Amino acid sequence: MKRAPNPSVPASIDAAPEFARGHVDTPPSDEALFLSRRGLLGAMAATFAVVGAEGCRRPLEKVVPYTRMPEDVIPGVPSHYATVIQRRGDALGLVVESHEGRPTKIEGNETHPSSFGGADLIAQASILELYDPERSTIPRKGGVAASWDDFEKDLAATLATFDKDQGTRLRLLMPPTVSPTILRMRAALAQRFPKARVHTWSAVADSNARAGAKIAFGEPVNTMYGFDKAGVIVALDSDFLQTESGNVRANKLFAAGRRLRSSKDSMSRLYVVESARTTTGNAADHRLRLPASAIAAYAFALAGELAKNGVPLADVQGAAAGAATGVNVPAKWLTVVAKELARNRGRALVVVGSRQPPEVHALAHAINGALGAPGATLTYASVADPDELDVATDLKALSDAIVANQVEALVILGGNPAHDAPADLGFADKLGKVATTVHASLFFDETSQKCTWHVPRAHEYESWGDAQALDGTIALQQPLIAPLYAGRSDIELLAAMANLPETSGQQAVRATTTEVLLVAHGVTGCSPFDERGDSECRGATGGPVHLHQFELDREWNRSLALGVVRRPQVPKTPTLALPAIAAAIAARKVPAPGPGAFEATFAPCAKLVDGRYANNTWLQELPDVVTKLVWDNAAILSPASAKELGVANKDLVKISAGDRSITAAVWIVPGQTDRSVALTLGWGRKQAGRIGNGRGFDVYPLRATDTLGFVAGVTVTKTGDDPYFFAQTQENNSTEGRPIAHEATLAEYKQKPDFAELDSPPPRALPLWTQADYSHGHQWGMTIDLNACTGCNACVIACMSENNVPVVGKREVWRGREMHWIRIDRYYVERAEIGATAEEPAVIFEPLMCVHCEEAPCENVCPVNATTHGPEGLNEMAYNRCIGTRYCGNNCPYKVRKFNYLNWHNDSVWKETGGLPETMAMQQNPNVTVRFRGVMEKCTYCVQRIQSAKIRAKRETREVKDGEIRTACQQTCPADAIVFGDVNDVTTKVWTSTRTDRRFGLLAELGTRPRTTYLGKVRNPNSEMA
Amino acid sequence: MAYWEPIRELDEQPLVEPGSKLREVTHDIASVSERPAPRGWWICFLIALTFTGIFTVCVAYLFYRGVGVWGNTSPVYWAWDITNFVWWVGIGHAGTLISAILFIFRQKWRTAINRFAEGMTIFAVICALIFPGIHVGRPWLLFYVFPLPNQMTLWPNFKSPLLWDVFAVGTYFTVSLLFWYTGLIPDLATLRDRSLTKWRQRIYGFFALGWRGSNRHWRHYERAYLILAAISTPLVLSVHSVVSMDFATSVIPGWHTTIFPPYFVAGAIFSGFAMVETVLLIARSVFNLKRVVLMRHLELMNKFLLLTSLLVGYAYAMEFFMAWYSGNQYEMAHFLVNRPTGPYWWAWVWMVVPNCVIPQLYWFKRMRTSIPVMFVVSIFINIGMWFERFVIIVSSLNRDFLPSSWGLFRPTIIDVGVFTGTIGVFFTLFLLFMRWLPMVSMTEVKGTMPQADPHYSPKGAHPEEEDEHDPLPIIDETPMPSTGGLVPEGAE
Repeated sequence: MKRAPNPSVPASIDAAPEFARGHVDTPPSDEALFLSRRGLLGAMAATFAVVGAEGCRRPLEKVVPYTRMPEDVIPGVPSHYATVIQRRGDALGLVVESHEGRPTKIEGNETHPSSFGGADLIAQASILELYDPERSTIPRKGGVAASWDDFEKDLAATLATFDKDQGTRLRLLMPPTVSPTILRMRAALAQRFPKARVHTWSAVADSNARAGAKIAFGEPVNTMYGFDKAGVIVALDSDFLQTESGNVRANKLFAAGRRLRSSKDSMSRLYVVESARTTTGNAADHRLRLPASAIAAYAFALAGELAKNGVPLADVQGAAAGAATGVNVPAKWLTVVAKELARNRGRALVVVGSRQPPEVHALAHAINGALGAPGATLTYASVADPDELDVATDLKALSDAIVANQVEALVILGGNPAHDAPADLGFADKLGKVATTVHASLFFDETSQKCTWHVPRAHEYESWGDAQALDGTIALQQPLIAPLYAGRSDIELLAAMANLPETSGQQAVRATTTEVLLVAHGVTGCSPFDERGDSECRGATGGPVHLHQFELDREWNRSLALGVVRRPQVPKTPTLALPAIAAAIAARKVPAPGPGAFEATFAPCAKLVDGRYANNTWLQELPDVVTKLVWDNAAILSPASAKELGVANKDLVKISAGDRSITAAVWIVPGQTDRSVALTLGWGRKQAGRIGNGRGFDVYPLRATDTLGFVAGVTVTKTGDDPYFFAQTQENNSTEGRPIAHEATLAEYKQKPDFAELDSPPPRALPLWTQADYSHGHQWGMTIDLNACTGCNACVIACMSENNVPVVGKREVWRGREMHWIRIDRYYVERAEIGATAEEPAVIFEPLMCVHCEEAPCENVCPVNATTHGPEGLNEMAYNRCIGTRYCGNNCPYKVRKFNYLNWHNDSVWKETGGLPETMAMQQNPNVTVRFRGVMEKCTYCVQRIQSAKIRAKRETREVKDGEIRTACQQTCPADAIVFGDVNDVTTKVWTSTRTDRRFGLLAELGTRPRTTYLGKVRNPNSEMA
Repeated sequence: MAYWEPIRELDEQPLVEPGSKLREVTHDIASVSERPAPRGWWICFLIALTFTGIFTVCVAYLFYRGVGVWGNTSPVYWAWDITNFVWWVGIGHAGTLISAILFIFRQKWRTAINRFAEGMTIFAVICALIFPGIHVGRPWLLFYVFPLPNQMTLWPNFKSPLLWDVFAVGTYFTVSLLFWYTGLIPDLATLRDRSLTKWRQRIYGFFALGWRGSNRHWRHYERAYLILAAISTPLVLSVHSVVSMDFATSVIPGWHTTIFPPYFVAGAIFSGFAMVETVLLIARSVFNLKRVVLMRHLELMNKFLLLTSLLVGYAYAMEFFMAWYSGNQYEMAHFLVNRPTGPYWWAWVWMVVPNCVIPQLYWFKRMRTSIPVMFVVSIFINIGMWFERFVIIVSSLNRDFLPSSWGLFRPTIIDVGVFTGTIGVFFTLFLLFMRWLPMVSMTEVKGTMPQADPHYSPKGAHPEEEDEHDPLPIIDETPMPSTGGLVPEGAE
């Protein structure tokens, strides 16, 4: 077992005030950390001597016990804390597992409305960002190391000069926020500097959706889609399952609306119109590929068609008809879709993607309103910051102000505008024109380099905060660990700038929460608490109310424990302003397309978002949902476009929009829109760190203020340079006609409920040996519902995080040595019944990890009995016994065994820095062996979770409850596609699930008797579309 | 009719050049270790030693970093390592076959090449055994495969063919070594007796085990040799059958094949003979052994190669037929599609052409008896048989059941270094063997010479008609090979 022996890291973090004091009074400085490292190095010198003597044996490590045992920390028993992270326009409630003060694993928070217990891949990977050894550790002035004292003095002096003109020449730049405390701090800052301005910018934002809502309702509102209640969903350029705000919630609800317990159930139907293949498009029953720049026109045409089907849109209809020019789609995509929507009034939904212009969002609000969606399939909620402006306009305003020499000091809290600002602004160069620029960020990045001051920012798991979810729920963010690198949070920095009395994050958040609670209960005008903790206030009805400090404490503690602040939800029912929508559509301006024949689309990367996670090894090595590329992005082209350009995979192309151009390597994806090149943001970082620097292609130089989503009329030309080097985790796209991923249409399913079993060949091979008796005790098993799986990859990262799965690097992935215990196989399907052709294939995802065969081929062939069968049906690996013949890997028909070809943790991506950084070792799960080189490994069904649940049950003298054991992949899965439990117990969910008619065993014809079985995929195509 | 006499009706030729004297045979063979090594030997040895050095460096690096320095990967977890292992084990087959089976069948023509072949077996099996040893992820725990008693009562997995392999190859190596060494004893005594220096006497004397050439010694020797030959005989069939079960008992299409045991044995004999021939041709020219290694021997070997080539070709064809005949989707996709047209189609061509097509030249006597032709063909067969193992191992693994996990194996420089390095090790050992040990069995060759016949008369081919009173015809020549004259012959 590995334990972090770093004594500078406090072991326990709680809501206790003691912690807050310690945390604020003595922020652990970089020097302290350095000293402790030196001490540690000294202590380990002897260990290294032993290592040297041992040759290639496993290095020895010392386990240091506590000298003074902290209260509430039981070594070996993890604690769990609720927290929240900001996610674009949303917040994601989380529960963090902490081992002896080290947060190690992220899970979704079941009480949080944006999570419902699920989490996505970014949330899962964010734990690694916390421990990133390349985070900034020290304030820097002009790039030279300085101290926090220097910074505080410098900042105070600078700010003092602004007091006289009320901060006219002071600007702040930060990403849009959903944190009530940050908003309160900003208001407080505005009190000190009434004329200072806060600009917001983020390369990926919901500005268009907000603007659309503003047109439709006169105010920005959040729309909460009830995908579970909708029968028909039309998604226009919206990847609501992966890259849009609220994706985890959407995934949960969407899966719920399509869950089939038997062939009698019904499911929703999803139409997707999009340019590039997305997770949502892959889940579609009908998918239309259309250039992103033509989707608005399609939406307008659809509105016209809806009117013909009796959906009243009043004036909007006329405006839309006027705007629907140049729509070139199959007629059925208008007539049938409109008919279907009209038919499903009250059960229909139209969803628009964030990069579509505001008018389209406004139109969708009008259509949804006319279809009776509000209250039925969607609800509205207030936004956290009603004053937030369009990010591009706002940043342009700042940029113009700098040019006009109106800015003397610019404080940038988070974000990386020097890298991701629209190219036409030349923002990185403009930063130099401002006398004082301050950048607070996790990394010393591109923007930090250009600023006069850089200060390290505390990670979300290191600091206090709060965040408002899409539906208005406020959740508290509590630190899991004291700042590892002496960072400070935005709240603390803002509080200091605003000269607020509450300088610690905890005090600030608590004050906000108190305010929120009092407002929620209608309590106002409280007198200060006296020494007995009493206060007199006015109640909602105006009468006097007695309030005791204890009540606030109780509510605060409860909020921390639950992760959400309990308060009554006020449903929002904004009224549609149809004339305004019509006017906006009529007045809509389309940027003039360039001379080229192509369009380029910009999408946030599902892994790196806008580049902020570029230094995260887990995300870098995560295969792309569609292309299965790792460590890179690519310029995605359709086969026809590639042919037109004369390019093949890996060829480099130059993409030019006006005088701006980028070079990127091509990857061909069937189903990509012709003459549309899909580009992902966030790659090609120059100052991300050792891991992220120079990975992939930076596409920001092509993106301008008016073309944040897509740019029409670009030219694409082959450069003729040597092909680029890509690494892929899955190189074959087709099932080759093999019966391995079964699917049917809903009609076929109803006719032949057990299609999956019927299509599988019967088991032919007889067992080689006497079969074990599996009829007694716990017998663990799993089902994976291919109908629910969207291929979103959250399980892959969850598994890496839980099971200490190493990262191997691009070249080793190219060799085929990626270590992911769970992989998501993606096959393209050509099937006439669902309109899937070679150019536009459908997609089926099949997550695959060790299926724990009852007759496991791997077990027979191991010469040393290192892999054997447990009495509870687990195929177990004894790492200590494994000598690494790899015979089991060869004989595994599923190829789910992974071999430690090298000492991956130390001898791969972190090799140059002398092995896995000390901080990253802190992330590792102490309940899972860290595998040394030369041993085989694979999915264990999270045996450590099984064991701890069994121990808990035994201590409480009861049976293990169904659902008590959840594997890491199952727990995080936002679609609840994975069910795990005791297949020997008829009361369990998994028992029911294994009796589902759609069930099949993958390659069961080999006689392997897999314990993980699958439920076949069912598509719901509309027969009218055929 | 004496047994050493060629049967004219069968167009047989004498096994030793007619007119050769016993002392000439002794001198030809034994003096190799007594003379300074010829320039050709030094050139060969230095080249071989260089490759041995490369091998050492590569293996040291492999141990230092892990098997990841090779190219094998998921799904091709075995690649050159096991290809080389099976190739070397196969080569090691000819030795036992020639020594044991041909000995039991009294095929006297084997005497010219059996020592060679046995030496080759030993060295090839050493090279083969290197691979299971170094290819495992944690070589320092290799002893786990042995059934060593321990307090955990933890045993190896007797179900695993890999364990059977450990026993089969281990047994084969042990028996082959004993067999080889037993055959060497009389010749070692000859070398001892010819030794002029103290160290030579001591070393050869130590290994000669006090051989004095007494009748009792000869009786025991002959019996022991026969028993070892009898023990070795089933091993010829068992070793490669068991090696083939590593593959045959698995579930992977291309491996899961019942034809494998006989197919592997035939292939092993094929490749073993080819390697014997390659080495023999080099030695024959470097050490001028044309007197003992006759064209007749070589031609016989070539006929054997033709036969085994046909057997191997039959196995290839049968694999294809069975894949089609089974109707099994995965089998058909593997044999009918992936092998000839998949990413390793060129390896398949390298397998079929050298193994099945090129040996057909031996239908023609002119080809069978041409030294350049047979040298080139033997090299081709060596390469072809390496590719056969490559095709079986790599191209079966690279595309198995689930297309999502298909992948390619790409060798690294360390793969190349270790493989060529073992060839270096092989030749280093072989050249040392040729230099310091009698590379042709003097004892047995003399036994096939006319002089070995008690009725021998140097005057003619019909000894029974000759003067039977020639007092001691043998003394005229040279002492009986292993009676061990006290005066070293090299001194004369």
